[in-house]
Amino acid sequence: MTGGKFYRRAVLLLPALLALACAPAASRAEEKSSGELTVALSSLSTETLDPILGGQIVKFYLDQMFDYLVGCNPDGTLSKTDGLARDWEVSADRKRWTFLLRTGVKFHNGDDVTSEDVKFSLQRATGKRSTTGYAGPMRELIADIETPAPDKVVIVTKQPTLIIASYLSRALSTEGMVLSKKYHEAKGDDGFLAHPIGSGPYKFVQRTAGSFLKLEAVDNHWRQGAPGYKNLWFRLVPEETTRIAMLRQGKADIIDISRERVKEVQADGFPIRLRKDDAQINFWWIEPYQGKPLDNPRVREALNLAIDRKELAETIFNGMAAPGPVPWGMSWSYPEVGFKDDALQYKFDPKAAQKLLADAGFGRGIELQLYSYRLPGLPEGQAMAEAIAGYWEAIGVKTKLVPVDYPAFRKKWIDRSDPGGIGYFNVANRNWIGAYAIIDKYANPKEATATMHDPELEKIVLAIPGQVEQDKVNDLMRQLYARLRSEHHGVGLLNIHTPYAVSKRLASWDPGSVMYDLNLDQLTLTKK
Amino acid sequence: MRRFLLQRAIRAVLTLAILSVVIFALARATGDPLTLILPPEASAEDRANVSQELGLDRPWVVQYGRFIGHVLVGDFGISLYHRQPVNELIRDRLPNSMRLAGFAMAVAILLAFPLGVLAAARKDTLFDRGDQVIAILGQSVPTFWLGVVLIETVASRLQWFPPGDIGGLDHYILPGFTLGWFVVAGMMRLLRSGMIEVLDAEYVKLARIKGVIERRVIWQHALKNALIPVVTFMGMYFAILVANAIVVETVFAWPGMGRLAYEAITTRDFPVIQAVVLVAALIVTVANLAIDALYVVIDPRIRHAG
Amino acid sequence: MSDIPLSPIQRVLRRLPGRRTKGRVAGPPLIPLVILVAFVLAAVFAEWVSPGEPYRQALRAGFRPPVWLDAGTWSNLLGTDRLGRDLLTRIIYGARVSLTAGVITVLVATAVGVAVGLVAAYFRGRVDAVLMQLTDATLSIPIILLALILAVTVGPSFGNVVLAIAAILWARYARVIRGEALSLMERDFIALARVAGCSPARIIAVHLFPNILNTVVVLFTLQVGDVIIVEAALSFLGAGIPPPTPAWGSMVADGREFITTAWWVSFFPGLAILMVVLSFNLLGDWLRDRLDPKLRQI
Repeated sequence: MTGGKFYRRAVLLLPALLALACAPAASRAEEKSSGELTVALSSLSTETLDPILGGQIVKFYLDQMFDYLVGCNPDGTLSKTDGLARDWEVSADRKRWTFLLRTGVKFHNGDDVTSEDVKFSLQRATGKRSTTGYAGPMRELIADIETPAPDKVVIVTKQPTLIIASYLSRALSTEGMVLSKKYHEAKGDDGFLAHPIGSGPYKFVQRTAGSFLKLEAVDNHWRQGAPGYKNLWFRLVPEETTRIAMLRQGKADIIDISRERVKEVQADGFPIRLRKDDAQINFWWIEPYQGKPLDNPRVREALNLAIDRKELAETIFNGMAAPGPVPWGMSWSYPEVGFKDDALQYKFDPKAAQKLLADAGFGRGIELQLYSYRLPGLPEGQAMAEAIAGYWEAIGVKTKLVPVDYPAFRKKWIDRSDPGGIGYFNVANRNWIGAYAIIDKYANPKEATATMHDPELEKIVLAIPGQVEQDKVNDLMRQLYARLRSEHHGVGLLNIHTPYAVSKRLASWDPGSVMYDLNLDQLTLTKK
Repeated sequence: MRRFLLQRAIRAVLTLAILSVVIFALARATGDPLTLILPPEASAEDRANVSQELGLDRPWVVQYGRFIGHVLVGDFGISLYHRQPVNELIRDRLPNSMRLAGFAMAVAILLAFPLGVLAAARKDTLFDRGDQVIAILGQSVPTFWLGVVLIETVASRLQWFPPGDIGGLDHYILPGFTLGWFVVAGMMRLLRSGMIEVLDAEYVKLARIKGVIERRVIWQHALKNALIPVVTFMGMYFAILVANAIVVETVFAWPGMGRLAYEAITTRDFPVIQAVVLVAALIVTVANLAIDALYVVIDPRIRHAG
Repeated sequence: MSDIPLSPIQRVLRRLPGRRTKGRVAGPPLIPLVILVAFVLAAVFAEWVSPGEPYRQALRAGFRPPVWLDAGTWSNLLGTDRLGRDLLTRIIYGARVSLTAGVITVLVATAVGVAVGLVAAYFRGRVDAVLMQLTDATLSIPIILLALILAVTVGPSFGNVVLAIAAILWARYARVIRGEALSLMERDFIALARVAGCSPARIIAVHLFPNILNTVVVLFTLQVGDVIIVEAALSFLGAGIPPPTPAWGSMVADGREFITTAWWVSFFPGLAILMVVLSFNLLGDWLRDRLDPKLRQI
């Protein structure tokens, strides 16, 4: 049973497959895991193995060690086949979410996964120590967690909501990862950190922070049966040339690679796998910029018109990108809410941009600070920033590039210590729930992360979470995107694909589209 | 002689003390670690919670007092980024760096000795010039570039050696060579000028007059004496190796102290920055002390001077 | 550590005339001199000699090869970088940036180092102890590490790179200069100056300083190249002179990823660094043989 087909069918035949949820496991259970798989990456992100610590969540190894409560397909839609919840439903008032757990799932130490573990994990993820992305909103939202039976969890929310299931899947963050309550209480936080256990297909063996992490396959995983490889290595190899050399020498099977080097590696016969549309590159301005040129929408429009998105996509991104003009426009959500951005593309028009600047009273140009830094999954970041600065210079915007590392920029942003300064991020693509969640963070002036002040926008955002009718939600989301684009609240630049180069011995693998996950489940075994 | 060594030791301790203050201040000047630990979406409340948990909300003086108190008993605290005791991180990394530095030093010596001695023996000839160029080449191209070119050619295309990452002896060859060649120039110069001076000295002339064959004069009589300054500066070369290791370890994905230092700085991991700099300085200082002691043994003149 | 005490016999030997010049001393190395002069001229007259503008980008013209390769064009003799900027132009402007950075850094470091070294040697005692203690502490910090911390702290810029490197480099000079000056202090003319009632400042400035100039010149020449290399390492670590300013180090660092597909992007700036650093070193070596043969350690 090949992966792609399986998932496509799963979406179509959900009810039928629910009953057969364990079928794929059974078919592979007799096989034994063997061999080694090495994933060499430019960054292992914050290397803590505790799902609630470390924040930045491009941590592919965690998905191998822990299962999520809610499953997620490779394209980012929710799944009832690959999460611990075999089904869920929400009450009519949208305040009681009931999750039914798969039975017989075991942690790496042999204990059963029960509703108590789910409750414990969720409380921990929304607790004081947690640094996960949505700890705050979840804490606000959840009133109580009930465990009426070992295979049944009920999450009671303070207000009606549609978002709970998405928040607990790997499409968003790590809050949905399920840890063992018993193990944790026996070992404490530090003991857990030294030797974490979960219920995922691979268990922890050894690691050297800043170098590698070694995982070992469990005998039989409920989702996968016997995992494809006996040992799974994640190695940190910052220098790209070194990663490619490792691939050529057979010392690495999967590497991340910059888009510009794809052709070179492909020419040597190494297959490239794309994670399609996994992120949008988005530029924004540090608040508060009232009283600055940026306060004028015409200036913001001029900055957008000055950029040749197509040229960028074709050169620096080597064709693995497409223009995406709406700031924080998450393209996965477009079909869900019935939004289209085709008519909203910015024309590359430096003359019009200059005219807009002049009309706004800045004919003699303005000055900007553009921060430039590296990000996981975006090795082209600094070249892109340099090119953007070049485009802006060409319309008379004096753009000072400030190379920093990301934390330094973040500090300026969070402290708001450089009003009007510009940063960028490759925002993981997401469905409408995720899109709403992230836009709220940037549009809500009360948040430290706010990047725009627009009362109209805020009104729309605030209306969404309490809304329980999907039609109205869709309408609000469309308004939201339209407003972001018409006011030019940032520079929505490109929707990008992320390439991985793989060794010739891997038969097939689809990295999926979820930026936070490598979808290693989909890896077919070594060619025999 | 004992007084000389004691003085050195006191100075070494003072050096480390000054350094601990400087590095403590610098580490805190690099910015707020919270911005890295917490996701962009974290609320002010989350920030306050984590700050308190990590002790970052205390005044600097208190933080320093705690830090130095722990350091004195050999505890560098917990890494903010890795959430792991710093001692463990250093225990994992330090041996890797030491082995690489040792290998690089061996490479440097193997290159520098023949080059330096032969250059001195044929001073001011074309051969001498050529020798000097080879020696200086190592520090005339950026280290990272040399490393990348070696990986691309020797590792990626020819596949003679692994492109780095820790492993057997073959893993040491490319990074060791990249790191070692950098100090060849300095060492070679020292040997060359030392040899030239010694070859000019009365007792060497005497040896020559007595009919000792030239090769023996050079390799035995002269080299032995020209070695003294090289030994003296071994500590400095070692320090240079430690510094350059940051670049080399990054290029070759070598899990050593240099890489740890770089990560710690970019992630504002205070405890690790402090520990790495102090440990590096400690190693260099101890190496210098050892050399001073060794020097006293091999060079009788010091005993009188001390 | 650096000032090896001399035996009485050696001291006598050192003062004997002609000893140092024994043997043939070669003339100045011509090729390095020519290279350096050429680069300095290019740096000074960059506006006139460069064929294009250093900041003009044309993304679609990126990675154009040098003129002698297929697809090369006469408008970009050495090809273009990833943003389609002319490499030759950027290397010429880069000479200005990198040489200036090297020279200014060493000047600052030398000024501080010489001052500290001379003052320590003149006053001896406590002043000496304190200054040398500071020097020791500074020397025990790996130079790249401090530069990295400073660059991350205050943000990378031309000025900060210069300051960061000079903040450590001075200590190397202080050590050497102190050693030199200490032996000068034993000489008769210093004692005479003291008897004649010269102020310490005057003795340092008029009697000591001119006598260590040879050493300063040698150090200076040998270290400019070093600084250019350190700057390149900082660029690699993301803490060098920031783009889009054309500095050789950052050009090599940016181009290193393309050594198989577009080798020229990093090769030509790398070659420029190699030629300049090698030239400075060979010139410095020659100067040292000529002016100050016992200055061996640098």
